[in-house]
Amino acid sequence: MIEIKEVSKHYSGQRKVINRLNLTIPDGKIVGFLGPNGAGKSTTIKMMTGVLPIDEGVITLDGNDIEKKPLEAKRIIGYVPDRPDLFLRLKGLEYLNFIADIYDVPKEVRQERIERITKQFSIYNSLDDYIQSYSHGMRQKIIVTGVLLHDPSIWILDEPLTGLDPKSAYILKEMMREHANKGKTVFFSSHGLEVVEQLCDEVAIINNGELLFYGTLEDMKETYKSDQSLEQVFLELTSNE
Amino acid sequence: MNKTWKLIRIMLKMQYSRVGKKNSETALLVIALLFLLPMAFVYISVVRNALTAFYNVLEPLGQESLIIGILLLTSHIILLFVSFITILSAFYFAEDIDSFIPFPLQPYQLILAKSAGPMIYLYGTAALFYLPVLFIYGGVSSASILFYIAGMMIFLLLPIIPFTIAGILLMFIMRFVNIAKNKDRSKVIAGISSFALIILLNVFIRLNTDVDVIMQDAAIFIREQDGLLRWITAFYPPAYFGTMTLTAITIWNGILSFFASIALHAGAIILFIWAGQLLYIKGVLGMGTANKSNFSDARLSKKTKVSPVWLSYIKKELRIIFRTPTFLTQCVVSSLFAPIFLIIILFMDSSSGNIGGLLDGVTGKHGLLILFLGSLLIVGTNATSISGISREGKSWHANLFLPLNPKQVLLSKIATAWIINLFTILLAVILFVFIIKLEWTLFLIWLPLALLASWFSSALGMYLDLLQPKLNWTDEQEVFKSRMIGLIGIIIQLGIFGIIVLLLWNLNIINGIYMTAAILYVLIIIGIGVMHSLMHHKIKQKQHQLI
Ligand SMILES: Nc1ncnc2c1ncn2[C@@H]1O[C@H](COP(=O)(O)OP(=O)(O)O)[C@@H](O)[C@H]1O
Ligand SMILES: [Mg+2]
Repeated sequence: MIEIKEVSKHYSGQRKVINRLNLTIPDGKIVGFLGPNGAGKSTTIKMMTGVLPIDEGVITLDGNDIEKKPLEAKRIIGYVPDRPDLFLRLKGLEYLNFIADIYDVPKEVRQERIERITKQFSIYNSLDDYIQSYSHGMRQKIIVTGVLLHDPSIWILDEPLTGLDPKSAYILKEMMREHANKGKTVFFSSHGLEVVEQLCDEVAIINNGELLFYGTLEDMKETYKSDQSLEQVFLELTSNE
Repeated sequence: MNKTWKLIRIMLKMQYSRVGKKNSETALLVIALLFLLPMAFVYISVVRNALTAFYNVLEPLGQESLIIGILLLTSHIILLFVSFITILSAFYFAEDIDSFIPFPLQPYQLILAKSAGPMIYLYGTAALFYLPVLFIYGGVSSASILFYIAGMMIFLLLPIIPFTIAGILLMFIMRFVNIAKNKDRSKVIAGISSFALIILLNVFIRLNTDVDVIMQDAAIFIREQDGLLRWITAFYPPAYFGTMTLTAITIWNGILSFFASIALHAGAIILFIWAGQLLYIKGVLGMGTANKSNFSDARLSKKTKVSPVWLSYIKKELRIIFRTPTFLTQCVVSSLFAPIFLIIILFMDSSSGNIGGLLDGVTGKHGLLILFLGSLLIVGTNATSISGISREGKSWHANLFLPLNPKQVLLSKIATAWIINLFTILLAVILFVFIIKLEWTLFLIWLPLALLASWFSSALGMYLDLLQPKLNWTDEQEVFKSRMIGLIGIIIQLGIFGIIVLLLWNLNIINGIYMTAAILYVLIIIGIGVMHSLMHHKIKQKQHQLI
């Protein structure tokens, strides 16, 4: 479970990009974090994962405060950043071993998971190549593989479906569904709507750093005129000012 | 030509733009320069004294042109070395070439634009070595205004010949080294071989210096006006014409020399452009990329290894350093360069039997102090620690979201720098044991001290990088280029420990090697303690998240 309480954030010398955000993400659900470009999705996610310090408010992950108990909190989560260009000079397998060492994944477990996941993603044959030679989608897949090695109880993905081919996108969505079915939390951001209806159990809509809506799709359709399409609701919600 | 100008402007902007630079960096730079001011005074007064002495000896013999000749020759040699390094990185190592190749540009336009960066560097170097001597010579010989005008013209020409020589040679080499078909590997080969070339050149020059023959030759040439000049610059016309311009500017001879100089330089530039047009793009394009491989379950099982986090982290650091050509040359090769150079020179001198003077100094308290400061200087120039965080670039945030203790990250990075320093220290061990044949007590006291100094220096470098890392780079070169951090690190280390060594040297209460050693050990351990607590403090302030 993720709890975000009264969180605000501003970058040096600028207006607040996140303004008193409150959000609770339950276990066993896939929650989509939606908003137009620049809404503050990545900023929120970076605070949740300990990349950025939090100005005000508290974020806890399964009860662990990310600021007060960072190591415990980070051990629980698996994070797929929006830009997958990490450690390009390592080979795929070296990267996975490095990540597995950090999360203390035993040898048999990591070997089994590396084989299964990379074969699903069809990057198994590239494990001995430098990540630098991977395409954008392959880099994303190797990072997703790394994240799943320790079977995180909270899985956070920033714009995960951008740049994936249809087959890989399908596999990733299946993996997210499987993860949520195991009773774990899956939280991902997206600036598009395509995935929402087929994937999300609940959505949070953010714009200009403020939460506009949180709930199931049905809630949303009830709250707003039910004859409107999802797209129209979204546009209406985020078009203020 | 218009397009070339635009290219130059874009390339320089990308290199020297102030985006992401903070005022505090400028402030640090000013402080560093203030530290250097006294050194500049010392430098100028030493040059002045030496020059006056030379001039007074040579002037009655009609040989004073020799001074200018030597000045131009040494300037050219220094500029040639600098050219090799800057051209290699600007022409071949910089990643931005790939983005320019698709544009409809002539190769010569690209190399002219690419030359702007190195040229600025060369003019800076030339200003440092050439200008002070020029003005002092002008003063000593009470030269006319024409001398200074000619001097400035020569200054403008100065970097051209070394640059074109180095450029043409490197373009030629790169065109054919690339048979390796592997971009990274050929970069490394080229980097190492240009260092090797410099060392070989030095060895070659030293092998050919037979003192007796030189004295005989000199005796013959000294009899005619400017004879010595003609003798030392005979094989190198640019220096000859340059000198004639400067020393005879008031007469026809000088003016003719000046035009000869101009013609020579113009020729060099044309040759350079022609060679660039012919060789450059092919050299860059020849650098192919990686190959495809197949993977098997057996290989997966063999390559899946469990290691403790710190070890895994250090392995990752070393892999990245050794696989990235820029990091390899900056962090490893260039730190080995100075000691190898020293070893070869000393070895050759010792085989010719005149190393005695060096041996005598290195004993007892004073010997230890010299060795200590020398070790600090050598490990202090290693760029591994000061690039520890910056090397991560955009991967830095992975250190934050992965469950890694920031302290452990920094310690592993310090350890990495320390490990790379081990190569340098190993070379020093070879030097001390086999060539200088240091006393055993001194050697045994020095070795752990050097290892501790290496840790101190690595911790200091890491701390400085933590304060102001350069993470937003697109090309690895930016981690080292136009950053003052390395200089600042050395100045701080040598400033603090230089003063301490000076005190110990002069304090008569402290005598004997053991007492001195004890004090140095205590001080360096205190130094390490201070660095670690400073770092601890910065982590508490969340500096690692704020950068
Ligand atoms: N490093 C930064 N420095 C300053 N402003 C930033 C930085 N990163 C993001 N912003 C600003 O914060 C706002 C939110 O950005 P972000 O969280 O990346 O949006 P999203 O991920 O929803 O597209 C934007 O207005 C953006 O311009
Ligand atoms: Mg974003």
